[in-house]
Amino acid sequence: MLAISVQGLGASLGGRVVVRDVSFDVAAGEMVALIGPSGAGKTTLLRAIARLLPSSGKLVAQGQPALVFQQHALASRLTARDNVLVGGLGRIGFWRAALRLWPRADMALAEASLARVGLAGLGERRADRLSGGQRQRVAIARALHQQSRILLADEPVASLDPALAEDVRSLLQDLARRDRLAVLVSLHQHDLAARFADRLLCLEDGCLRQL
Amino acid sequence: MRWAAWIIGFIAVQAACIWVVQPDLGRLWVGLPRLAGWIAGGFPPDFSGFGDLAARAAETLALATLGTTLAGVLALPLALMAARPANPYPALYHPIRTLLDALRGIDGFVFALIFVAAVGLGPFAGMLGVALHSAGSLGKLWSEALEAADPSPMEAARSAGAGRAQAAAVILLPETLPQTASAALYVWEFNIRASTVLGLVGAGGIGQELKNAVDLLDFSRVLAILALIVAMTLTVDRLSSALRARLL
Repeated sequence: MLAISVQGLGASLGGRVVVRDVSFDVAAGEMVALIGPSGAGKTTLLRAIARLLPSSGKLVAQGQPALVFQQHALASRLTARDNVLVGGLGRIGFWRAALRLWPRADMALAEASLARVGLAGLGERRADRLSGGQRQRVAIARALHQQSRILLADEPVASLDPALAEDVRSLLQDLARRDRLAVLVSLHQHDLAARFADRLLCLEDGCLRQL
Repeated sequence: MRWAAWIIGFIAVQAACIWVVQPDLGRLWVGLPRLAGWIAGGFPPDFSGFGDLAARAAETLALATLGTTLAGVLALPLALMAARPANPYPALYHPIRTLLDALRGIDGFVFALIFVAAVGLGPFAGMLGVALHSAGSLGKLWSEALEAADPSPMEAARSAGAGRAQAAAVILLPETLPQTASAALYVWEFNIRASTVLGLVGAGGIGQELKNAVDLLDFSRVLAILALIVAMTLTVDRLSSALRARLL
């Protein structure tokens, strides 16, 4: 079953066309790596699919995709749990969120999301007191908390040492295999992508090209 | 050349100010012995009826503290509307910033003067004056802190479906707490110093005692009141510094 279908997608940044005429599909349970050199347009393409940027062309997605940002994008003074709960803000009203009256089901889900990424018991720790690998995992847990069937990850291992990068890579692979999420990951290491992705998409100068 | 232009411009501005103010060192020279005589005549300071003086000082502290709190309540929604990442109504951004500039532009002393006419003599008028002016200052400082915050966690919340105001309440406010709390403490300290003169317009506090003593040329009393003001402001400065150190 297709989770994302992109047909002739284009996106611009500051009036400059960065992504043009891109077409591909990602199925549920599939892990696709988007590779290409820096500046190829990988981040812009992911942001367009996450609907953070206006785009042209046709984009059909099974719900709102969840995006794991390149630099984690965690609120440093919030706890790991509160950062995860941010992923569920779309489901609760303003006052509940402002007064931190998180629904019990959301709290349980946040704990489950933290456990899923191997951070059970670290919910109370402030984000700025977590290691780089733990921060990346919290960012993934926040994306999981959105309960989307589509997970987009922008260079999720770029700032990690090889051992931590391997852990995060396995986690993403597991989310595709076991949880049947459609996972689209941008990477600039071709060899790493070839080892763990089901399929590679190569982006150059904003266009997909054949490998 | 650019430096020369800056220096010439600076000198020109100072010359214009001198022309307007007409500073006269001769008059200062003549006045200094008179001032020294008053200070010498003020010793020993007159602390008689200390309970009344302390009650007036407490009135100053209370009106400045309550005024700062009310300013914070007024400033919070204004600051959120005056910060681009938090404002859910972009059309109101510039009008709100103009309102904050206007509130800041009118001194608390002037507001107090107006409120004395409106609500009568006493610390309540002073508190309202402090609150209105400080709402402008706090709103401006807070909106700048909100705008300078890292935008990426807000973007992450927005991508998860959060509204702008919702994301601001959950992420921006806690993230900028050290800056906003520090600004509030700074404004509180400032208000306590500034409130010592509100009594001159009948808006309550220790300034009322100061005005009475100056009017009666009772310099022993003036000195005692000044000593009390210095002790009060130094204590508040220390307390504020300690609180700030804990927050940062």
